[in-house]
Amino acid sequence: MIILPEIFLSLSVLALLLVGPFIRKKGHVIIGYLVLLVLIISQFFIFKNIFQFEPIFNGFFVIDSFGSFMKCLLLIGTTVVIYMYLTVNKDNSINQIEFPILILISLIGMMFMVSSNDILSLFLSIELQSLALYILVAFSKEEENSSEAGVKYFVIGSISTCIFLFGASLIYGFFGTTNFTEISEVLGQTREISLFLIIGVVFVLVSLSLKVSAAPFHMWTPDVYQGSPTIITAFLSVVPKVAVFAVIIRFLVFPFGEINVDWGRIIIILSICSMVVGSFGALFQSDLKRLFAYSTINHVGFMLIGLVPGSEDGIIAISIYLILYLIMNTGVFLIILNLRIDERNVTSIKDLSGYSNNNFFMAVCMAIFVFSMAGIPPLSGFLGKLIILNVAIDNNLFYLAIIGVVSSVIAAFYYLRIVKLMFFDKTNDELDKDVNIESKVLLSVLSFLNISILFFPEFFLDLSASITFSLFAVN
Amino acid sequence: MFNLPILPMLILIPILGIIFVLMSVEEENTKAAKRSALWTSIINFLLSLYIPINFDQTIPHFQFVNSFSWFNNENLKFSLGVDGISLPFIVLSTFLIPLCIFFMWENKKNKIKLYLSSFLLIESFLIGAFSAIDLFSFYIFFESILIPMYMIIGVWGGERRIYSAYKFFLYTFLGSVLMLVAIIFLYQEFGTTEIPKILNFNLPFYIQIWLWLAFFSSFAVKIPMWPFHTWLPDAHVEAPTEGSVILAAILLKLGGYGFIRFNLSILPDASIFFTPFIYFLSTVAVIYTSFVALVQTDIKKLIAYSSVAHMGFVTIGIFSANIQGIHGAILQMVSHGLISAALFFSIGSIYDRYHTKNIAFFSGLKTIMPKLAFFFLIFSLGSIGFPGTSGFVAEFLTLLAVFSKSTIIAFFAAFGIILAAAYMLNLYKKIFLGEINNQVLKVNSDLKINEILIFSSLVFLIIFLGIKPNFLLNFSTSSIERIITLYPISIF
Repeated sequence: MIILPEIFLSLSVLALLLVGPFIRKKGHVIIGYLVLLVLIISQFFIFKNIFQFEPIFNGFFVIDSFGSFMKCLLLIGTTVVIYMYLTVNKDNSINQIEFPILILISLIGMMFMVSSNDILSLFLSIELQSLALYILVAFSKEEENSSEAGVKYFVIGSISTCIFLFGASLIYGFFGTTNFTEISEVLGQTREISLFLIIGVVFVLVSLSLKVSAAPFHMWTPDVYQGSPTIITAFLSVVPKVAVFAVIIRFLVFPFGEINVDWGRIIIILSICSMVVGSFGALFQSDLKRLFAYSTINHVGFMLIGLVPGSEDGIIAISIYLILYLIMNTGVFLIILNLRIDERNVTSIKDLSGYSNNNFFMAVCMAIFVFSMAGIPPLSGFLGKLIILNVAIDNNLFYLAIIGVVSSVIAAFYYLRIVKLMFFDKTNDELDKDVNIESKVLLSVLSFLNISILFFPEFFLDLSASITFSLFAVN
Repeated sequence: MFNLPILPMLILIPILGIIFVLMSVEEENTKAAKRSALWTSIINFLLSLYIPINFDQTIPHFQFVNSFSWFNNENLKFSLGVDGISLPFIVLSTFLIPLCIFFMWENKKNKIKLYLSSFLLIESFLIGAFSAIDLFSFYIFFESILIPMYMIIGVWGGERRIYSAYKFFLYTFLGSVLMLVAIIFLYQEFGTTEIPKILNFNLPFYIQIWLWLAFFSSFAVKIPMWPFHTWLPDAHVEAPTEGSVILAAILLKLGGYGFIRFNLSILPDASIFFTPFIYFLSTVAVIYTSFVALVQTDIKKLIAYSSVAHMGFVTIGIFSANIQGIHGAILQMVSHGLISAALFFSIGSIYDRYHTKNIAFFSGLKTIMPKLAFFFLIFSLGSIGFPGTSGFVAEFLTLLAVFSKSTIIAFFAAFGIILAAAYMLNLYKKIFLGEINNQVLKVNSDLKINEILIFSSLVFLIIFLGIKPNFLLNFSTSSIERIITLYPISIF
């Protein structure tokens, strides 16, 4: 039963959908806790056979340690989001039983995504996760732009799907197969690479960049982040990013590792664009969610540097960066969720003004997270920066490294702006001061991790080294 | 002698102190928090004296070495150690932090716990940066200092504090990220980042040039050299007194320390190539910033510009690359650490009473504050480089060193001393001498006991180092000789 987690999750979704309508009061809370339970159980299932390697369904999917590790990250991210949904959410319009279940459905799509070993299965699972996400983005009736964001996301998502299918058909036309393992074998024997194959790969890559919001395909990100309910913004900024990054890595490194030089150039362009857009775009944002949308784009650009050489070191670096990114981003969004005026969520950056006088603990945590995002030691964001730059310099990509560090200095400006607002400016007295203990506990854990990882990186390094090994062992 | 892990202790004790400060009882005058911070820093200072007492002056290599594994990698460790070059700075840091905390004993500040924690955090990071003998650990500590310093300027600073805090942070950050690229490159090239090991390698000239520029961009901003100095006057003017003291007395020294430790030791060929360039920038700094200091209307800004001029002597001394030069540079840094700290403390005393730093406001202050007038005179003379103070020995050694290399540079640098006398004595005349005016009369309180204690200890050290500089210089002689012997002979 090697795909037990997925089967278990799917069955749970069906069961929860059946049970949901019969619960009279506070259905979303009970369903939410059940979802939390389901997530934790499936986490155990994955841990049980994390180091197994096995293709299943005639190579339609592959279970390997790289995929299992990414699934662990997805599950942890989703667990944190559901936990936040249960403890700090104040948006009543999303308190429906469908909400946690849709998150779960999207998660199933993502879990299939990271283990798919075939273009068709990849396509199907991307659609599964996207469709659930479209609904989630448009779910809120309290957020003004929720429906608009949903439509935007849907339209962009459809375009992305078209591009993906077009690229996939070109790839199929060249190889006569859609299976990654077979593609890799055929490519190993091919001398001449057709231009159409490259175009096909680039098309698929563009579609995936749309999903991961790498510039110049980032346009939807700020709008969708701003419009969707904040819980979903937290979800969007972390979990699908991990999944799509895993897919990009698997797609490029495993079947198309041979033509690394060709797609490497595309990744360099994407990376530079993302870093530049991410650092300049956020400078004058007035909404926190928009600001962190651009910050995400900047981080994506940074992570893409690690992918350029297509080597094991690069993948290790990306995996660690993803872990750190997950910690920092969930922390930031947990604090944004706690910004309230008269029990209503606010996300304007001005609302943070003088936050340290309102709530010292939260302000310090926020400072830790944003300094970490800026990559300033001794916080863990520096570790991510360090290992990614290490990969870049190892492969003589000096210009990428220098663009990366300079963009991080520009990005530091808007991170500093947040710290400035919280600590230097006058207090915003309207802001609600109470913060529940659940958020404080979670924040303490995240901040502690954020401070300590730089000094004890061995665990994560060993872990990601052992999981990426599987990706290359197949080749 | 039992083997004490002294450096990790020095780094961790302030961190422990922060926990005590944050947990201390909320009182009206916040004495509890101050008391715990003061005791922590005093204990740290006394412990740090363990290093000079047990230091073997004949060994040029690193002593008290402690390594911790990091990244599960033999070649990538968290290594700490002391040699003759870093020792004065470690003791200087541990000495000045308790003074800073003691100076604010009576002052009321908002968020006092955060303020004290920032200082203890800075102390911990500073000791780490000066004692790191691994490039990565150095970088981590070096960069970490930005966070607490940004907070100190931004939260407790003056009117334009936000602009200054941004400028300070982004300038230094931009300088040091390029150094990070260079450090990673060195790691790729040699497979190790331990400084003692790297000293044995030799790099081709054209690579050295690029690496030198990367390191230079970081330290030139930090020290600061002309024309990268513009963040310093802003940061100084806006920072609170204690912040200015730390900034001028210790943070700037990280730049000079970095020049000796990295540019000069690791990249000697490029250093020779760039020596005329450094001489040029330093001489311009000495002359130009002295003239700028002459026309300042703000006391703090004047001292800030004089710092840039003094640091010009340091860079001249370092890149003369002979024993007098580096001795002079180290002594100049220590003596400037003491004197600028003393001057900023004095300005702080004046500011606490009159709430202005405008020179034109004051006249005849000596009748109101005779004790301060006495101390300020000694500090001004020290800043000028008057014989008998530590500043004289340092500038003398530096000029001696550069004279053997280039007479013209020595001539212009010596000219800077005259200018220093001009602006410092002028400042003294305007503030303390002359007719007493009504505004000054409003306040009538001379130095308090804590201020007198702080000033006397600084006066003692300034004069002691002026009379017996060998006490300090002997520590670094063998380490400097080691650097010099590896240094190729230059024609310039």
